[in-house]
Amino acid sequence: MPPRRSRVPLPVVRLRPSAAGSGTVYLVHPGALAAGVHATLAEALPDGVGLTVLDLSALPEYWEAALTGGRAETTVEALAGRLLDEFTGAYDGGPYALAGWSFGGVVAQAVVRQQPPAQRPARLVLLDSIAPTEEYQQPDEALLPPLLIGWFAMYLGAKRGRPVLLDPDRLAACGVDDGLLLVLDAAVASGALAADTPLPGLRKLYDTYVDGLLRNNRLTAPYRPRPTEVPLVLVAAERSLIPDDPTLGWTPLAPYGLEVHRSPGDHYTMLTRPDAAELIARLVRPTPVPARTGAKKV
Amino acid sequence: MAPIKAVEAQNWLIEKIAHRLGVEPSEVSPEQYFDELELDSTEALILAGEMENWLGFELGTTALWYHPSIKELAAHIAEESATRTEAGHAASA
Repeated sequence: MPPRRSRVPLPVVRLRPSAAGSGTVYLVHPGALAAGVHATLAEALPDGVGLTVLDLSALPEYWEAALTGGRAETTVEALAGRLLDEFTGAYDGGPYALAGWSFGGVVAQAVVRQQPPAQRPARLVLLDSIAPTEEYQQPDEALLPPLLIGWFAMYLGAKRGRPVLLDPDRLAACGVDDGLLLVLDAAVASGALAADTPLPGLRKLYDTYVDGLLRNNRLTAPYRPRPTEVPLVLVAAERSLIPDDPTLGWTPLAPYGLEVHRSPGDHYTMLTRPDAAELIARLVRPTPVPARTGAKKV
Repeated sequence: MAPIKAVEAQNWLIEKIAHRLGVEPSEVSPEQYFDELELDSTEALILAGEMENWLGFELGTTALWYHPSIKELAAHIAEESATRTEAGHAASA
């Protein structure tokens, strides 16, 4: 039976049209949250500047892996090739900027590698993306419950619009089962979940979230990225997924320079907070391709 | 354990969905497609987890995609339950 999805996500989502000559920001989005989460950024952009989301979660070979155990039958390079085709089809030839959030930044960096030099963006803006370098390529076993439960609480809070704050000491010692009880208590207390939410239901949500993370981890593990041919601009969230490294590992991939900014919020709420959107909007300025000056290695 | 019948699965789904939506079960049609319900993806996954706990077996998240209405999913659950019960009997014979 053919599946029915009346709300099939589209790989190209125009959140805001651009006025003639003002340019468009193209933002690579990896799912987890709906593409519409970038509406706050769209509103913060200068008058006339458009925002188009390139949504990885609309590619079946990517999104289905989060529902079937986290193994994707694709590669970072293949996803980048697919998105480059979508970008080429959507691009109007005017000024543009390229950005990527989270794993979307990893794919956006691979997109730049595949673009003809004359069509590359002036720079690539990464929104709390972790570099796919050896330092951060890790086996699944390295993703321990306290780390995953902490990220899941952050995600759930962003998804429901209510923070889900966990006691760091209890989080540090938890396994999955008691960790989910911590999340359930905190989520019910903050109003993020209904009081009668069953633990098996929360477990399903957690398992699906983790499968999405594992999918990205497994796509990243065999990937050997090459240095980026344009300068990188990294916006790391105050409560980033990797709070101890302000560069999130991008230095070896940034021979043309790495500019680092810190945005308010966490990995997820940086997309919905107006103060974070204001910062990001200043950094994603569309640039006319023909007028661009060549980047210099640093 | 006896296999779950389609009507049982359908009633379970309707009762849970009605509760989540804050409406009477009679207001939820078996023909209704999941993506037409006012359930967001978080609520849908929580419901799926609760359902698997009730069934005692994992249904697979894609089941809601391939069987997108309450009636179709209930029929699939009954079929899956019957297959598993039969396999259980064969294994213990």
